[in-house]
Amino acid sequence: MKRILVAAGLLAFAVAGASAEAAPAANTPSSFTLDNGMQVVVVPDHRAPVVTHMVWYRVGAADEAPGKSGIAHLFEHVMFKQTKNIGPEEFTSIVQRSGGQLNAFTSWDYTAYFERVHKDQLGKMMELEAERMVNLIINDDPKGPFISERDVVKEERRQRIENNPGALLQEMVLNEFWKGHPYEITVIGLMDEVAALTPQDGLDFYREYYSPENAILVVAGDVTEEDVRVLAEEHYGPLQPTGQAHSGRKWQPVAPLAETKLITHSDPKVRQPVWSRYYLGTSFKRDPETALALEVGLEVLGGGMTSRLYQSLVEEQKLAINIATFAWTTLHDEGPAVIYGTPVSGVSLEALDAAVMAEIEKILAGGFTEAEVVRARNKLAATAIYQQDSQSSMANHYGANLALGFTLEEIAAYPDEVRQVTPEQALAAVRAVFGADKNYITSHLLPAEGDL
Amino acid sequence: MLKLRLFSGAAAALLIAACAGTPAPQASLDAAQATPALAVDFYDGDFVDIQQFTTPGGVSVWLVTEPSIPIVSVQMAWRGGSVADPDGLEGLGQAVVYGMNEGAGDLDSLAFQTAMEDLNMSFGCSNGTEWTSCSATMLSENAASSMALVASALTAPRYDEGPFQRFLREQEVSLKTRETSAGYLAWRAQSQALYPDHPFAREVTPESLAALTPELARSHMRALMRKDGLLVTAVGNISPEDLAPLIDNAVAALPETSDLPPVTPVALPQTAAADPVIVPLPQPQSLVRFIGPAMDRANPDYFPAYVLNYTFGGGGFESRLMKTLRVEKGLTYGVSSSIDPNPSFTVWSGGGQTKNESAGDFITGIREEMQKFIEGGVTEAELSDAKAYLIGSYPLGFDSNAKIASNIMSVRQDDLGVDYFDRRNALIEAVTLEDVNRAAATYLAPGRYSFFVVGEPKGLTAE
Repeated sequence: MKRILVAAGLLAFAVAGASAEAAPAANTPSSFTLDNGMQVVVVPDHRAPVVTHMVWYRVGAADEAPGKSGIAHLFEHVMFKQTKNIGPEEFTSIVQRSGGQLNAFTSWDYTAYFERVHKDQLGKMMELEAERMVNLIINDDPKGPFISERDVVKEERRQRIENNPGALLQEMVLNEFWKGHPYEITVIGLMDEVAALTPQDGLDFYREYYSPENAILVVAGDVTEEDVRVLAEEHYGPLQPTGQAHSGRKWQPVAPLAETKLITHSDPKVRQPVWSRYYLGTSFKRDPETALALEVGLEVLGGGMTSRLYQSLVEEQKLAINIATFAWTTLHDEGPAVIYGTPVSGVSLEALDAAVMAEIEKILAGGFTEAEVVRARNKLAATAIYQQDSQSSMANHYGANLALGFTLEEIAAYPDEVRQVTPEQALAAVRAVFGADKNYITSHLLPAEGDL
Repeated sequence: MLKLRLFSGAAAALLIAACAGTPAPQASLDAAQATPALAVDFYDGDFVDIQQFTTPGGVSVWLVTEPSIPIVSVQMAWRGGSVADPDGLEGLGQAVVYGMNEGAGDLDSLAFQTAMEDLNMSFGCSNGTEWTSCSATMLSENAASSMALVASALTAPRYDEGPFQRFLREQEVSLKTRETSAGYLAWRAQSQALYPDHPFAREVTPESLAALTPELARSHMRALMRKDGLLVTAVGNISPEDLAPLIDNAVAALPETSDLPPVTPVALPQTAAADPVIVPLPQPQSLVRFIGPAMDRANPDYFPAYVLNYTFGGGGFESRLMKTLRVEKGLTYGVSSSIDPNPSFTVWSGGGQTKNESAGDFITGIREEMQKFIEGGVTEAELSDAKAYLIGSYPLGFDSNAKIASNIMSVRQDDLGVDYFDRRNALIEAVTLEDVNRAAATYLAPGRYSFFVVGEPKGLTAE
């Protein structure tokens, strides 16, 4: 029995589903597969005449060759450039002229492209995505659009990471955390490796990974399975599988941390120190039972204002401005379980560290109450009901899970399963992750010398 | 199309506000005395059907009933935001809204937060520059109990010393971290350069925080949140007759009216300084922001300018700013522009981030694009593409309860009328090439725009 919770990239979406009022049968997602191997999922939502059309590819930054970090993401940008039948920069023009919004995103595990349009435009969107799945043209002019897009990605990296001392520190920590694993390098890639990527790298990547049998179509919105089947067979059906898509991903279990480490980053932009600790967590794909119990346990421990750590460190001891715990459980492979906090002025990171860990030890010794575990379970399950309000997040939710290899049935089972986690299971999962025998990485974000 | 429908009113029992840390009591909706029928104006729109009614307690409500998901959201808004903080008490409005889910009636902070979790609901308030708003989202099966908790917050917020001191500790951190926030520094530079004496330029300071007290928050809460002018919208799985008594109970204890100072509009200079203002910040990129005077919705140039903005910087990859500065030159990950027609502060503004070495090229590029609009205008094809997107994509703003709730509240706040959504596309369609090019000539003159740069830009002459 598998259980699941999902996210796209680093954004945690909580999961779908059920309370006393289950979704009406008419809105139950369904799935079928085209003859060329392309999987299709339909998520009905008839509130407005709008659809979200997504194509997910089973390829991400984890699949990059050594020295080619950032190619999955840069290539995603290049997919908007030009095809055999669509002129340079015309792809976006056609979609927007059709009243559509569009974008794409890349994670370690998958790459997804989407358009949101009036339902009358769905066929046209399929035509466009099918075209760039097989007919992309990559301009190899050394001063041409591939090169300027590379510069854009370098600016994107500066904007997302290098302007932000907290993001820089996290990059260092994750690099250490996933040392030797395909997640080691951040999705956008290392600056010098991105700067060296060539049009040929893009073309090689395209040929290897972009084909119908390596793709999943998700359509959410005001459509029926039959509507989608007819259109998908017309537009995607004729595409020939290349047979080249990788048969195996580079996914592998994440090794336990070899040693405990402290990583610090000082920056003149930092005006408020931040303390974090990263332990090896788990993932819903690798260990669904533990992941489910860990989600519940971390909710009790550090999930919000009512959590144990917040009440102790912020409210009672007044040592912290905030304190929280969370785990990256929705990647394919194991991610970190993190405790982080911001001290009040006058409290050092070392003092906060000691107080937090002493409190965790106390909580783990005393156990969780039934009431707080029930509250945590219900909160996780209810998030799923609220998620139904967003067509995009439903499409993301299904797409990301399917790209990791879960089935519709497994996705649907989550809310019922989260309600069955016992206080003992939640406690055991937290103990297993934060146990005294485990190595961890501590990170200190600090002001520049002399700025304190 | 307006239709008048009469719903027989279900009556409300007086809801019990306090929940004492346990799951709130399910308030009874049918333990009723007779109440008058609720008169509901049913507006049957192309994008959304809106039910307008005035509750027996006198509150004007717009409701969109959406039965397909078992959730309900309720929004309330009052004119009067941080601009209404008394001089020397900057941050008071923030203290008011911070305390709104930090304990009420018999429930202290932890008990109130726990009650919300038990109901799987959320409730919170915010203090914008000119508006104060509260928002509650709940499961429809818990609507009565959830709104009873909202009622207790609006009736008897505690403003206990503990959460109040926590608010101050959090604010102290904000005062420190804002000093290295590029966006905040750009805003401050803009305020100080363009409208230094206007209330919109005021900032929270250590001194103003030190002057705040729970008692001041308690009384300012009743100045911001009153029955007079209260706007309520709701979306979800609930009927007018079930909602009306919940709203009435929630706002029953608010004062009828209050005295808040009127806001004088900001008058931006029609001619800007030639050189950018530079704010040093040690980081690899420079944030560039430009801002100039625009127009409000009553101005006949508004819709032409709105359509023009798509081609200028509002249309993503279809905008000339993106085509030139990102796609052609690779100078930025993103550059954009927008118009704010808020009568108190009508501005056309935009910007983006670029490496420090190219900050000068980036600013030059923006000014050159503005100049091209003055000289050559937009093409028929660009105008037609802009209209096609702006009209064709409009339904995308109505595909979730959350978006509908936000849209109908905006229409109420801007007083655009219940039929606005259905009129809006025709207003865009009617814009001509002459209109757009007239707006370009008037509003996009580069000399109207002040530039602000935060970072370590190379080779720029500063103001």
